[in-house]
Amino acid sequence: MIAKQTERFLPLKPQWFHILLALAGEEQHGYGIMQEVLERTMGKVRLWPATLYGSLKRMIEAGLIEESSKRPKPELDDARRRYYRLTSLGRRVLDAECERLQGLVHAIHTKRKMVTE
Amino acid sequence: MKRSQRAYERLARAFPHEFKLAHGEEMLETGEAVMGRLAKRGGWTGVARLLADAAMRLPFEYLAEMRRDLQFAMRALLKSPGFALVGILSMGLAIGLTTNVYSTNWALLTRPMRGVAHASRLVMAQKPVSYFYVERYREQKDVVAGVAAFQNAVPFNVRLPGQTDSKQQRIFGQLVSPDYFEVMGVDAERGRVLSPAMDRSGGAPAVVISDKFWRMRLGSRPDAVGLVLRINGQSVTIVGIAPRGFEGAFSVESAAELFVPVIAPASVAPELANDVLHRPNAREFLALALLAPNVTAAQAESALDGVTRRLDANDPSASPQTDKSRRVTLLPAGTRVPIPPELKQAIEGFFVVLMGIVIVIACMNLGTMLMARGANRRKEFAIRMSIGASRFRLARQLMSEGMLLSLLGGLLGFGLAYLLNVLNTQLHQAVDAPGIPDVAIDWRAAVFAFAAALVCGVALSVAPALRATKSELTPALKEGSAMQLPGHRRFGLRNLAMATQLAGSLMLLLITGFVLMGLARGYQVQTNFDPKTMAMASIDPVRDGETPEKALDLFAKLPQRLKDSNKFSRIALTTLPPFTAADEDNSEQWTVDDPRAAQKVQQPVVKESVGAGYFAALDEPLLNGREFNDADERSLMATAQGNTTRTLPVVLNETAAKKLFGNANAIGKHLKDGGVGYEVVGVVHDLRSGMGSHSAIAYVALSRDDFARPPAAGIIILTRAKTGVDGAAAIREVAYGLDPKLTPFHVETLSDQLALSRREMRSAMWNYGGIGAFGLILSAIGLAGVTAYAVAQRTREIGIRMALGAKKGQVLRLVLREGISLIAVGTLLGFAGAVLVSKALEAATSVFADALAMGTNDPRLLVGAPALLAALALLASYLPARAAVRIDPLKALRTE
Repeated sequence: MIAKQTERFLPLKPQWFHILLALAGEEQHGYGIMQEVLERTMGKVRLWPATLYGSLKRMIEAGLIEESSKRPKPELDDARRRYYRLTSLGRRVLDAECERLQGLVHAIHTKRKMVTE
Repeated sequence: MKRSQRAYERLARAFPHEFKLAHGEEMLETGEAVMGRLAKRGGWTGVARLLADAAMRLPFEYLAEMRRDLQFAMRALLKSPGFALVGILSMGLAIGLTTNVYSTNWALLTRPMRGVAHASRLVMAQKPVSYFYVERYREQKDVVAGVAAFQNAVPFNVRLPGQTDSKQQRIFGQLVSPDYFEVMGVDAERGRVLSPAMDRSGGAPAVVISDKFWRMRLGSRPDAVGLVLRINGQSVTIVGIAPRGFEGAFSVESAAELFVPVIAPASVAPELANDVLHRPNAREFLALALLAPNVTAAQAESALDGVTRRLDANDPSASPQTDKSRRVTLLPAGTRVPIPPELKQAIEGFFVVLMGIVIVIACMNLGTMLMARGANRRKEFAIRMSIGASRFRLARQLMSEGMLLSLLGGLLGFGLAYLLNVLNTQLHQAVDAPGIPDVAIDWRAAVFAFAAALVCGVALSVAPALRATKSELTPALKEGSAMQLPGHRRFGLRNLAMATQLAGSLMLLLITGFVLMGLARGYQVQTNFDPKTMAMASIDPVRDGETPEKALDLFAKLPQRLKDSNKFSRIALTTLPPFTAADEDNSEQWTVDDPRAAQKVQQPVVKESVGAGYFAALDEPLLNGREFNDADERSLMATAQGNTTRTLPVVLNETAAKKLFGNANAIGKHLKDGGVGYEVVGVVHDLRSGMGSHSAIAYVALSRDDFARPPAAGIIILTRAKTGVDGAAAIREVAYGLDPKLTPFHVETLSDQLALSRREMRSAMWNYGGIGAFGLILSAIGLAGVTAYAVAQRTREIGIRMALGAKKGQVLRLVLREGISLIAVGTLLGFAGAVLVSKALEAATSVFADALAMGTNDPRLLVGAPALLAALALLASYLPARAAVRIDPLKALRTE
């Protein structure tokens, strides 16, 4: 049942994967997610705002992430910002996607061995 | 940078409300931050991508919202299935009916013929010309790429391979010039089509059969090409099968099953006797021209007109050169019906108006129902608004409900159109009416009707939606649906909707009623005897393989033989079944031949050839003078063919006599039709009442020509058998005794014949009556919806009145009074509209003029239709009102 629930989302859309990955650590707001993805991919992947917020909206609807009620320290806070965190489903989906990707990487390694030998 | 920032802001603000509510501010902020960083690095491509990203996401976000709206609307509709059902039904009926009527009628007029590659460039001369003229037209290479000649609705007596002579069938086809298929751009499905290279005179007689002939009569035999048919007693080889759906040019008149080349010998087609291919004045062919590339029909028309005028100069029987009117009128011929553009517009207009009314009524229905629902849901809306829903958001919700209803209605409509189409085709096949094509649903029509309904559905749900959401929150929360609406009650949207609805339905009912009543009367035939006792049979010796001389001889003997058999009380020969509607398109100009007259009297008259004793056989005593007798016939037979110096006897019907001679006695007066002189010997009642009764008919005696080359229906033997005698069998017996080759066809009684014309009537009734009945159903639905809404609004008021001591009757009167005044206004408007539209139609086209003239003065319709609708409207007001007064006043008064 749970497997089926996660299975539905795989393979994950690249933006979704990046967003889930960004939220895997701590709660973030939209702009923060964008920055983190940008840094992590060394400027290769930029989530443009409309795409980012559109994805966030859909991911909330899909139950992968949720709004968090925790706010940062008042001096760093901006009232307009919303913070997001992974739901347990989101975490499971991220895990499943990582496993899938690892499987892929493994397959690549085996192939490469066969080619070089 | 400032400008792109503003552009981004504007884009961000254009996102759907829900999206902005959740992420709007943040998206703005993030965008600004990103743009600031990009600007520092001078990243213009980045700014462009930022803007493009926003612009591209925008439609997706709206689509997503719409999907949610539709999901929600679906849930809302499921909660009130009655409302949903009525809405969907009314939309579905409108779309289904519109699509079906369009597909069967309008498409028939406008869709290109099937299997014809050159449909858009084909034109046809309106009047028949001689083959000689067609050959001259062909030489005008600068305007026409080819000109074919054909004769339409040519009867052939056909014996299929392996059948006996007595099983001969009379099948209609066309006589065509060998280049006919080439000009139209038609290729054979099997075998070959006719071609000038292969089919030369003197060669083996060839015929191309239609796909229908192959399937229905030859059972789709794979070896059909190469088979030999006996056509009019001669062997003819099938060389090819025409493509599926191809039924020849001008096929609305008669779907052609056989295409026989004009180079065939006259024994195959008696129409080809007398050297018709070479005589310049044998105007017996229709010219079908393929316009040269980039040449307009008007250019070709004036060129061919010039040619015709030059040729006519050598022909004394043509109209004189002083006559400056056009001699050639070209009609577009790529469709089944070559109709002049003006008439096409009129017919188009009729359908558009009728179907427009239907769709508008259905949409009004939907609108009023949505309005009623909106009023009942005020409380729900108030709650949603108070917790932050915008007015726009709620309006959008109602609009998507309207859209969903339209969509579902559309689906139902398609289904209905399909079903009606199947029924229609089956009906026509059962009747085996000639010229009824297998019409498929026209998808363009369906899409158009659907789109129109969708637009109407959405547009009409805007007003009620805005209205339902325009309110002070507190009273709406408190009072819910019972609150009084702001605005002018008397001229409010609701009253307007109800009155228009009633008016529209009445219009629809009246117009269809006018046409229907007119048609019904037109088909009413009053006979002076029991039509079952009249046996009719047609014979055509020439197409049974006899020579014209033998045919003349047979017809000279036939009446006497019938008399001698001593089985009949009355016998007459004729060329048309009695009581058929006169074909006014074939009328000719007759002039009164009176040298003393100050003014030339000229009138269009339809000619009908009848034999001796025709009116006696129909028990129609002449008003004046006498009818034809055997002596007339004998002297006509003795006259050499082509002799035009003789004055011939003619019997006029009452209308013709009145038109030509006014109230003066017509007997003994002289008339001229072209070069032929006539003397009036008798005047007879108009045989038909109703439609066609305005036709002036001149009955002329059957001549040598009629016998030597019987017309399409053959020569019809009318008999009234003596009691106890089977008329049909007796006719067969006499015919066989006279010549075993003769095969009587169309053997039936007059009542069968009349039933056939009633069948056409029934088909018209289906069409028009269906639309009228539809108007009724729709208005009933709409009225019920509107009144239910009205009463829902007044429940509280009614409660207060009841609590203050009003009697049930008083409250009922109050509710009904408003209904009645609306009904009165709607009825008046409907009457005015119906009269206006029918006058416009009458003026625009003669097609409906007769029917409308007959129907408009029918008291049953003029009183009945409004009374029926008013009763319906009253009932629709009464039922909810009765329900309202039964409400416990306390319940009605209770505010939550």
